[in-house]
Amino acid sequence: MRRTDRYRYWLVLIGLVVLHFTVRERLGGDRVAPDFLLLALLIYTIRAQPGRSAAAGFVIGLLRDALTPASFGAGALAHTLVGYLSSWAKAVFFAENVFVNGCLFFAGTWLRNLIVLLASGRLGGAQLGWELLVWSPMQSVTTAAVGIVVLWLFGRWVAFRRAEA
Amino acid sequence: MPLGADRYASRADTLLFLGCIGLSVVAMSLPDRWRDPIAQGLRQTVLAPFLALQQQTELLSAARAHYDAVVAERDSAALAATFLPELRSENGRLRSLLGLGARLAWGYVPAEVLHQPEPTNPLSFVVSAGRQKGVRPLSAVVSSEGLVGLVSSVDAQTSVVLTWAHPEFRASAIANDGSVSGIVAPHGAAGPGVWLLELKGVPYRQQVVEGTVIVTSGLGGVFPRGIPIGTVVGIAGEAKGWERTYLVRPAIHPSALSHVMILTAARGTSADLRGAFQPDSVRP
Repeated sequence: MRRTDRYRYWLVLIGLVVLHFTVRERLGGDRVAPDFLLLALLIYTIRAQPGRSAAAGFVIGLLRDALTPASFGAGALAHTLVGYLSSWAKAVFFAENVFVNGCLFFAGTWLRNLIVLLASGRLGGAQLGWELLVWSPMQSVTTAAVGIVVLWLFGRWVAFRRAEA
Repeated sequence: MPLGADRYASRADTLLFLGCIGLSVVAMSLPDRWRDPIAQGLRQTVLAPFLALQQQTELLSAARAHYDAVVAERDSAALAATFLPELRSENGRLRSLLGLGARLAWGYVPAEVLHQPEPTNPLSFVVSAGRQKGVRPLSAVVSSEGLVGLVSSVDAQTSVVLTWAHPEFRASAIANDGSVSGIVAPHGAAGPGVWLLELKGVPYRQQVVEGTVIVTSGLGGVFPRGIPIGTVVGIAGEAKGWERTYLVRPAIHPSALSHVMILTAARGTSADLRGAFQPDSVRP
Protein backbone atom coordinates (compact mmCIF):
# COMPACT_ATOMS: atom_id res chain seq x y z
CA MET A 1 0.00 0.00 0.00
CA ARG A 2 1.30 3.40 -0.88
CA ARG A 3 1.54 5.87 1.93
CA THR A 4 -0.74 8.33 0.18
CA ASP A 5 -3.41 5.63 -0.18
CA ARG A 6 -3.34 5.06 3.53
CA TYR A 7 -3.95 8.75 4.18
CA ARG A 8 -6.75 8.89 1.66
CA TYR A 9 -8.34 5.84 3.21
CA TRP A 10 -8.44 7.50 6.60
CA LEU A 11 -9.58 10.75 5.03
CA VAL A 12 -12.61 8.96 3.61
CA LEU A 13 -13.45 7.50 7.01
CA ILE A 14 -12.99 10.82 8.79
CA GLY A 15 -15.09 12.49 6.13
CA LEU A 16 -17.90 10.06 6.81
CA VAL A 17 -17.68 10.75 10.54
CA VAL A 18 -17.82 14.49 9.89
CA LEU A 19 -20.77 14.04 7.56
CA HIS A 20 -22.56 12.12 10.26
CA PHE A 21 -22.42 15.07 12.63
CA THR A 22 -23.06 17.76 10.06
CA VAL A 23 -25.26 16.92 7.10
CA ARG A 24 -27.15 13.90 8.37
CA GLU A 25 -29.75 16.04 10.09
CA ARG A 26 -30.68 17.55 6.77
CA LEU A 27 -31.11 14.29 4.93
CA GLY A 28 -34.50 13.40 6.33
CA GLY A 29 -35.73 11.99 9.57
CA ASP A 30 -33.53 10.16 12.04
CA ARG A 31 -35.00 6.83 11.10
CA VAL A 32 -34.49 7.27 7.37
CA ALA A 33 -31.31 9.30 6.96
CA PRO A 34 -28.18 7.30 6.11
CA ASP A 35 -26.00 6.24 9.01
CA PHE A 36 -22.56 7.57 8.09
CA LEU A 37 -20.90 6.23 11.24
CA LEU A 38 -22.03 2.71 10.56
CA LEU A 39 -21.00 3.14 6.95
CA ALA A 40 -17.54 4.19 8.07
CA LEU A 41 -17.36 1.06 10.20
CA LEU A 42 -18.50 -1.16 7.33
CA ILE A 43 -15.97 0.37 4.97
CA TYR A 44 -13.31 -0.07 7.62
CA THR A 45 -14.19 -3.76 7.83
CA ILE A 46 -13.43 -4.10 4.12
CA ARG A 47 -9.76 -3.85 4.97
CA ALA A 48 -9.50 -4.75 8.61
CA GLN A 49 -9.42 -8.20 10.11
CA PRO A 50 -12.42 -9.42 12.13
CA GLY A 51 -10.87 -8.78 15.50
CA ARG A 52 -10.02 -5.18 14.74
CA SER A 53 -13.38 -4.74 13.09
CA ALA A 54 -15.11 -6.03 16.19
CA ALA A 55 -13.06 -3.68 18.36
CA ALA A 56 -13.81 -0.74 16.11
CA GLY A 57 -17.47 -1.70 16.21
CA PHE A 58 -17.38 -1.88 19.98
CA VAL A 59 -15.81 1.59 20.25
CA ILE A 60 -18.24 3.15 17.79
CA GLY A 61 -21.15 1.42 19.44
CA LEU A 62 -20.09 2.52 22.90
CA LEU A 63 -19.73 6.12 21.73
CA ARG A 64 -23.17 5.99 20.21
CA ASP A 65 -24.52 4.53 23.40
CA ALA A 66 -23.21 7.57 25.19
CA LEU A 67 -25.47 9.62 22.96
CA THR A 68 -28.46 7.34 23.50
CA PRO A 69 -28.13 6.20 27.11
CA ALA A 70 -31.56 4.57 27.04
CA SER A 71 -30.04 1.58 25.28
CA PHE A 72 -26.57 1.73 26.76
CA GLY A 73 -24.52 -1.30 25.74
CA ALA A 74 -26.93 -2.44 23.05
CA GLY A 75 -25.19 -0.29 20.46
CA ALA A 76 -21.80 -1.62 21.47
CA LEU A 77 -23.02 -5.18 21.18
CA ALA A 78 -24.71 -4.55 17.84
CA HIS A 79 -21.77 -2.75 16.27
CA THR A 80 -19.36 -5.37 17.56
CA LEU A 81 -21.36 -8.14 15.96
CA VAL A 82 -21.91 -6.23 12.73
CA GLY A 83 -18.25 -5.28 12.48
CA TYR A 84 -17.06 -8.82 13.07
CA LEU A 85 -19.61 -10.43 10.76
CA SER A 86 -19.03 -7.88 8.03
CA SER A 87 -15.31 -8.41 8.07
CA TRP A 88 -15.77 -12.15 8.17
CA ALA A 89 -18.31 -12.03 5.33
CA LYS A 90 -15.96 -9.97 3.21
CA ALA A 91 -13.33 -12.62 3.76
CA VAL A 92 -15.71 -15.37 2.74
CA PHE A 93 -17.27 -13.74 -0.27
CA PHE A 94 -14.36 -11.50 -1.17
CA ALA A 95 -16.33 -9.68 -3.83
CA GLU A 96 -15.26 -6.37 -5.30
CA ASN A 97 -18.67 -5.86 -6.72
CA VAL A 98 -20.77 -2.77 -6.17
CA PHE A 99 -23.98 -4.72 -5.82
CA VAL A 100 -22.49 -7.10 -3.27
CA ASN A 101 -21.05 -4.20 -1.31
CA GLY A 102 -24.44 -2.47 -1.41
CA CYS A 103 -26.05 -5.64 -0.07
CA LEU A 104 -23.43 -5.76 2.66
CA PHE A 105 -24.21 -2.18 3.70
CA PHE A 106 -27.94 -2.87 3.61
CA ALA A 107 -27.67 -6.05 5.64
CA GLY A 108 -25.24 -4.47 8.10
CA THR A 109 -27.54 -1.57 8.81
CA TRP A 110 -30.62 -3.72 9.18
CA LEU A 111 -28.82 -6.23 11.37
CA ARG A 112 -27.48 -3.46 13.59
CA ASN A 113 -30.99 -2.07 14.07
CA LEU A 114 -32.35 -5.53 14.77
CA ILE A 115 -29.75 -6.25 17.45
CA VAL A 116 -30.15 -2.84 19.06
CA LEU A 117 -33.91 -3.23 19.19
CA LEU A 118 -33.79 -6.74 20.59
CA ALA A 119 -30.96 -6.10 23.02
CA SER A 120 -32.39 -2.90 24.40
CA GLY A 121 -35.87 -4.37 24.71
CA ARG A 122 -37.37 -0.92 24.44
CA LEU A 123 -39.83 -1.68 21.68
CA GLY A 124 -42.22 -4.50 21.18
CA GLY A 125 -45.23 -5.65 19.23
CA ALA A 126 -46.36 -3.49 16.37
CA GLN A 127 -43.72 -0.86 17.06
CA LEU A 128 -40.97 -3.43 16.69
CA GLY A 129 -42.55 -4.69 13.47
CA TRP A 130 -42.76 -1.20 12.05
CA GLU A 131 -39.16 -0.50 12.95
CA LEU A 132 -37.82 -3.70 11.47
CA LEU A 133 -40.03 -3.94 8.41
CA VAL A 134 -40.46 -0.30 7.45
CA TRP A 135 -38.03 2.13 8.97
CA SER A 136 -34.96 -0.07 9.18
CA PRO A 137 -35.16 -1.15 5.55
CA MET A 138 -35.53 2.47 4.52
CA GLN A 139 -32.49 3.50 6.51
CA SER A 140 -30.63 0.51 5.18
CA VAL A 141 -31.44 1.52 1.63
CA THR A 142 -30.23 5.10 2.12
CA THR A 143 -27.09 3.92 3.88
CA ALA A 144 -26.39 1.41 1.15
CA ALA A 145 -26.96 4.05 -1.51
CA VAL A 146 -24.49 6.42 0.13
CA GLY A 147 -22.04 3.56 0.56
CA ILE A 148 -22.22 2.71 -3.12
CA VAL A 149 -21.62 6.34 -4.01
CA VAL A 150 -18.62 6.48 -1.68
CA LEU A 151 -17.15 3.33 -3.15
CA TRP A 152 -17.82 4.61 -6.65
CA LEU A 153 -16.06 7.89 -5.91
CA PHE A 154 -13.23 6.63 -3.70
CA GLY A 155 -13.17 2.95 -4.51
CA ARG A 156 -9.49 2.92 -5.32
CA TRP A 157 -8.60 4.46 -1.98
CA VAL A 158 -10.57 1.96 0.08
CA ALA A 159 -9.92 -1.06 -2.11
CA PHE A 160 -9.59 -4.42 -0.49
CA ARG A 161 -5.96 -5.12 0.41
CA ARG A 162 -6.23 -7.73 3.04
CA ALA A 163 -2.62 -8.70 3.05
CA GLU A 164 -1.53 -5.12 3.66
CA ALA A 165 -4.11 -4.21 6.27
CA MET B 1 -11.06 -15.94 -4.87
CA PRO B 2 -12.77 -16.24 -1.47
CA LEU B 3 -10.59 -16.57 1.54
CA GLY B 4 -11.48 -19.34 3.92
CA ALA B 5 -12.83 -18.12 7.21
CA ASP B 6 -10.64 -20.54 9.10
CA ARG B 7 -7.54 -19.15 7.46
CA TYR B 8 -8.69 -15.58 7.80
CA ALA B 9 -9.88 -15.16 11.39
CA SER B 10 -7.08 -15.86 13.81
CA ARG B 11 -7.48 -16.86 17.40
CA ALA B 12 -6.60 -13.33 18.45
CA ASP B 13 -9.44 -12.03 16.35
CA THR B 14 -11.83 -14.43 17.96
CA LEU B 15 -10.65 -13.52 21.43
CA LEU B 16 -10.92 -9.84 20.67
CA PHE B 17 -14.40 -10.35 19.33
CA LEU B 18 -15.47 -12.31 22.37
CA GLY B 19 -13.90 -9.70 24.62
CA CYS B 20 -15.87 -6.94 22.93
CA ILE B 21 -19.05 -8.97 23.22
CA GLY B 22 -18.38 -9.51 26.86
CA LEU B 23 -17.73 -5.83 27.47
CA SER B 24 -20.91 -4.98 25.62
CA VAL B 25 -22.91 -7.30 27.80
CA VAL B 26 -21.27 -5.79 30.87
CA ALA B 27 -22.15 -2.33 29.61
CA MET B 28 -25.74 -3.41 29.12
CA SER B 29 -26.00 -4.77 32.60
CA LEU B 30 -24.44 -1.79 34.31
CA PRO B 31 -26.70 -0.05 36.80
CA ASP B 32 -27.77 3.48 36.00
CA ARG B 33 -25.52 5.03 38.62
CA TRP B 34 -22.47 3.66 36.80
CA ARG B 35 -23.82 3.89 33.28
CA ASP B 36 -24.65 7.57 33.37
CA PRO B 37 -21.20 8.80 34.49
CA ILE B 38 -19.55 6.69 31.78
CA ALA B 39 -21.84 8.07 29.11
CA GLN B 40 -21.36 11.57 30.46
CA GLY B 41 -17.59 11.14 30.44
CA LEU B 42 -17.61 9.98 26.85
CA ARG B 43 -19.79 12.90 25.82
CA GLN B 44 -17.50 15.38 27.56
CA THR B 45 -14.26 13.97 26.16
CA VAL B 46 -14.18 11.90 22.98
CA LEU B 47 -17.53 13.02 21.65
CA ALA B 48 -17.19 16.65 22.67
CA PRO B 49 -15.66 17.92 19.40
CA PHE B 50 -18.20 16.00 17.35
CA LEU B 51 -21.08 17.27 19.40
CA ALA B 52 -19.69 20.78 19.09
CA LEU B 53 -19.53 20.27 15.34
CA GLN B 54 -23.11 19.07 15.32
CA GLN B 55 -24.15 22.00 17.46
CA GLN B 56 -22.48 24.45 15.11
CA THR B 57 -24.19 22.81 12.17
CA GLU B 58 -27.52 23.09 13.93
CA LEU B 59 -26.82 26.72 14.71
CA LEU B 60 -25.88 27.33 11.11
CA SER B 61 -29.01 25.64 9.93
CA ALA B 62 -31.12 27.61 12.40
CA ALA B 63 -29.34 30.80 11.42
CA ARG B 64 -30.09 30.17 7.78
CA ALA B 65 -33.73 29.52 8.56
CA HIS B 66 -33.80 32.61 10.74
CA TYR B 67 -32.11 34.61 8.00
CA ASP B 68 -34.75 33.50 5.51
CA ALA B 69 -37.47 34.50 7.94
CA VAL B 70 -35.85 37.89 8.53
CA VAL B 71 -35.49 38.48 4.81
CA ALA B 72 -39.13 37.58 4.31
CA GLU B 73 -40.17 39.95 7.10
CA ARG B 74 -37.99 42.70 5.68
CA ASP B 75 -39.51 42.22 2.23
CA SER B 76 -42.99 42.33 3.71
CA ALA B 77 -42.13 45.47 5.62
CA ALA B 78 -40.65 47.07 2.52
CA LEU B 79 -43.74 46.18 0.55
CA ALA B 80 -45.97 47.60 3.25
CA ALA B 81 -43.85 50.73 3.40
CA THR B 82 -44.43 51.39 -0.29
CA PHE B 83 -48.13 51.63 0.45
CA LEU B 84 -47.70 53.69 3.60
CA PRO B 85 -47.93 57.17 2.02
CA GLU B 86 -50.97 56.09 0.07
CA LEU B 87 -52.57 54.64 3.18
CA ARG B 88 -51.82 57.78 5.17
CA SER B 89 -53.25 59.91 2.41
CA GLU B 90 -56.39 57.82 2.19
CA ASN B 91 -56.70 57.80 5.95
CA GLY B 92 -56.45 61.57 6.00
CA ARG B 93 -59.07 61.91 3.30
CA LEU B 94 -61.43 59.57 5.11
CA ARG B 95 -60.96 61.47 8.35
CA SER B 96 -61.69 64.76 6.67
CA LEU B 97 -64.67 63.21 4.93
CA LEU B 98 -65.97 62.09 8.28
CA GLY B 99 -65.50 65.62 9.54
CA LEU B 100 -67.44 66.94 6.58
CA GLY B 101 -70.22 64.46 7.24
CA ALA B 102 -70.48 65.68 10.81
CA ARG B 103 -70.69 69.28 9.64
CA LEU B 104 -73.22 68.55 6.91
CA ALA B 105 -75.22 66.62 9.48
CA TRP B 106 -77.89 65.47 7.03
CA GLY B 107 -78.89 65.37 3.37
CA TYR B 108 -75.99 63.40 1.97
CA VAL B 109 -75.16 59.87 0.92
CA PRO B 110 -71.64 58.50 1.34
CA ALA B 111 -70.35 56.48 -1.56
CA GLU B 112 -67.22 54.67 -2.58
CA VAL B 113 -65.56 55.48 -5.85
CA LEU B 114 -65.29 52.40 -8.04
CA HIS B 115 -62.16 53.29 -9.93
CA GLN B 116 -61.51 51.74 -13.30
CA PRO B 117 -58.17 51.43 -15.03
CA GLU B 118 -59.21 53.39 -18.09
CA PRO B 119 -57.45 56.72 -18.64
CA THR B 120 -60.80 58.49 -18.95
CA ASN B 121 -61.76 57.44 -15.44
CA PRO B 122 -61.05 60.90 -13.97
CA LEU B 123 -63.63 62.43 -16.31
CA SER B 124 -66.46 60.27 -15.07
CA PHE B 125 -66.58 57.42 -12.65
CA VAL B 126 -69.00 55.12 -10.94
CA VAL B 127 -69.85 55.36 -7.27
CA SER B 128 -71.43 52.75 -5.04
CA ALA B 129 -74.65 54.55 -4.25
CA GLY B 130 -77.73 54.69 -6.41
CA ARG B 131 -81.40 55.28 -6.50
CA GLN B 132 -82.10 53.05 -3.52
CA LYS B 133 -80.07 55.38 -1.32
CA GLY B 134 -81.81 58.49 -2.56
CA VAL B 135 -79.36 59.58 -5.22
CA ARG B 136 -80.92 61.55 -8.06
CA PRO B 137 -79.46 62.87 -11.31
CA LEU B 138 -77.75 66.27 -11.05
CA SER B 139 -76.99 65.74 -7.38
CA ALA B 140 -73.82 67.46 -6.30
CA VAL B 141 -70.85 65.23 -5.51
CA VAL B 142 -68.37 66.59 -3.01
CA SER B 143 -65.37 65.53 -1.00
CA SER B 144 -63.95 67.14 2.10
CA GLU B 145 -61.76 69.31 -0.14
CA GLY B 146 -64.58 70.61 -2.32
CA LEU B 147 -66.59 70.00 -5.45
CA VAL B 148 -66.02 66.78 -7.36
CA GLY B 149 -68.81 66.91 -9.94
CA LEU B 150 -72.41 65.96 -10.33
CA VAL B 151 -74.38 62.79 -10.84
CA SER B 152 -75.19 62.26 -14.48
CA SER B 153 -77.12 59.01 -14.33
CA VAL B 154 -78.42 56.79 -11.58
CA ASP B 155 -78.95 53.06 -11.31
CA ALA B 156 -80.47 51.17 -8.46
CA GLN B 157 -77.15 50.47 -6.75
CA THR B 158 -74.68 52.75 -8.49
CA SER B 159 -74.41 56.17 -10.05
CA VAL B 160 -72.25 57.75 -12.70
CA VAL B 161 -70.51 60.93 -11.64
CA LEU B 162 -69.46 63.56 -14.14
CA THR B 163 -66.40 65.21 -12.66
CA TRP B 164 -65.32 68.83 -13.09
CA ALA B 165 -62.76 67.58 -15.65
CA HIS B 166 -65.44 66.42 -18.04
CA PRO B 167 -65.77 68.76 -21.05
CA GLU B 168 -69.50 69.18 -20.42
CA PHE B 169 -69.10 70.26 -16.82
CA ARG B 170 -70.21 73.78 -15.90
CA ALA B 171 -70.82 75.40 -12.56
CA SER B 172 -71.89 78.88 -11.53
CA ALA B 173 -69.17 80.24 -9.24
CA ILE B 174 -68.23 83.21 -7.15
CA ALA B 175 -65.21 84.23 -5.21
CA ASN B 176 -65.34 83.17 -1.62
CA ASP B 177 -65.70 86.81 -0.57
CA GLY B 178 -68.44 87.35 -3.18
CA SER B 179 -66.47 89.95 -5.11
CA VAL B 180 -66.64 88.32 -8.54
CA SER B 181 -68.80 85.75 -10.22
CA GLY B 182 -68.55 83.67 -13.36
CA ILE B 183 -68.89 80.24 -14.88
CA VAL B 184 -66.39 77.52 -14.10
CA ALA B 185 -65.59 75.01 -16.83
CA PRO B 186 -62.70 72.68 -17.71
CA HIS B 187 -59.80 74.60 -19.14
CA GLY B 188 -59.07 72.23 -22.01
CA ALA B 189 -59.74 68.85 -23.40
CA ALA B 190 -56.13 67.99 -24.17
CA GLY B 191 -52.69 68.61 -22.80
CA PRO B 192 -51.75 69.48 -19.26
CA GLY B 193 -54.54 72.06 -19.03
CA VAL B 194 -57.13 69.35 -18.95
CA TRP B 195 -56.66 69.10 -15.20
CA LEU B 196 -57.28 72.80 -14.64
CA LEU B 197 -60.49 74.76 -14.50
CA GLU B 198 -61.17 78.21 -15.81
CA LEU B 199 -63.40 80.90 -14.44
CA LYS B 200 -65.05 82.60 -17.39
CA GLY B 201 -67.19 85.66 -17.69
CA VAL B 202 -65.43 87.81 -15.14
CA PRO B 203 -65.89 91.48 -16.05
CA TYR B 204 -62.70 93.04 -17.39
CA ARG B 205 -62.53 95.69 -14.72
CA GLN B 206 -62.77 93.22 -11.87
CA GLN B 207 -59.38 91.89 -10.85
CA VAL B 208 -59.11 88.50 -9.20
CA VAL B 209 -55.90 88.04 -7.31
CA GLU B 210 -54.06 84.74 -7.23
CA GLY B 211 -55.05 82.57 -4.37
CA THR B 212 -58.65 83.63 -4.37
CA VAL B 213 -60.86 80.72 -3.43
CA ILE B 214 -63.68 80.05 -5.85
CA VAL B 215 -66.86 78.43 -4.57
CA THR B 216 -70.18 77.51 -6.06
CA SER B 217 -72.64 80.37 -6.16
CA GLY B 218 -75.85 78.42 -5.65
CA LEU B 219 -77.31 79.80 -8.88
CA GLY B 220 -78.64 77.44 -11.52
CA GLY B 221 -80.34 75.02 -9.16
CA VAL B 222 -77.69 72.31 -9.28
CA PHE B 223 -75.03 73.04 -6.68
CA PRO B 224 -75.67 74.52 -3.28
CA ARG B 225 -73.81 77.71 -2.47
CA GLY B 226 -70.39 77.60 -0.86
CA ILE B 227 -68.81 74.36 -2.12
CA PRO B 228 -65.13 75.05 -2.81
CA ILE B 229 -64.20 74.58 -6.45
CA GLY B 230 -60.59 75.66 -6.50
CA THR B 231 -58.09 78.47 -6.25
CA VAL B 232 -57.21 81.09 -8.83
CA VAL B 233 -53.68 80.62 -10.08
CA GLY B 234 -53.51 83.15 -12.91
CA ILE B 235 -55.08 84.71 -15.97
CA ALA B 236 -55.92 82.37 -18.83
CA GLY B 237 -56.95 85.04 -21.35
CA GLU B 238 -58.97 88.10 -22.22
CA ALA B 239 -61.84 88.55 -24.67
CA LYS B 240 -61.87 91.86 -26.52
CA GLY B 241 -61.60 93.93 -23.41
CA TRP B 242 -64.91 92.72 -22.10
CA GLU B 243 -64.04 89.92 -19.82
CA ARG B 244 -61.21 87.95 -18.38
CA THR B 245 -60.77 84.24 -17.93
CA TYR B 246 -58.85 82.98 -14.92
CA LEU B 247 -57.15 79.66 -14.40
CA VAL B 248 -58.40 77.80 -11.37
CA ARG B 249 -56.58 74.97 -9.71
CA PRO B 250 -59.23 72.46 -8.64
CA ALA B 251 -59.71 71.68 -4.98
CA ILE B 252 -59.46 67.95 -5.57
CA HIS B 253 -58.32 65.72 -8.40
CA PRO B 254 -60.82 62.96 -9.22
CA SER B 255 -58.19 60.24 -9.36
CA ALA B 256 -57.20 60.97 -5.75
CA LEU B 257 -60.64 60.14 -4.46
CA SER B 258 -61.64 56.95 -2.76
CA HIS B 259 -64.85 58.10 -1.13
CA VAL B 260 -67.26 60.94 -1.89
CA MET B 261 -70.48 62.37 -0.58
CA ILE B 262 -73.52 62.89 -2.74
CA LEU B 263 -75.78 65.71 -1.63
CA THR B 264 -79.36 64.53 -1.87
CA ALA B 265 -82.26 66.48 -3.28
CA ALA B 266 -83.77 66.84 0.19
CA ARG B 267 -81.09 69.35 1.06
CA GLY B 268 -81.98 71.60 -1.88
CA THR B 269 -79.66 74.14 -3.46
CA SER B 270 -80.56 77.18 -1.47
CA ALA B 271 -78.45 76.34 1.54
CA ASP B 272 -75.02 77.90 2.05
CA LEU B 273 -72.44 75.24 2.73
CA ARG B 274 -69.42 77.45 3.24
CA GLY B 275 -69.39 76.63 6.93
CA ALA B 276 -69.38 72.90 6.25
CA PHE B 277 -66.08 72.86 4.45
CA GLN B 278 -62.89 73.35 6.36
CA PRO B 279 -61.18 76.67 5.87
CA ASP B 280 -58.06 74.92 4.64
CA SER B 281 -59.88 72.56 2.33
CA VAL B 282 -58.86 74.71 -0.60
CA ARG B 283 -55.17 75.37 -0.28
CA PRO B 284 -53.79 78.46 -1.93
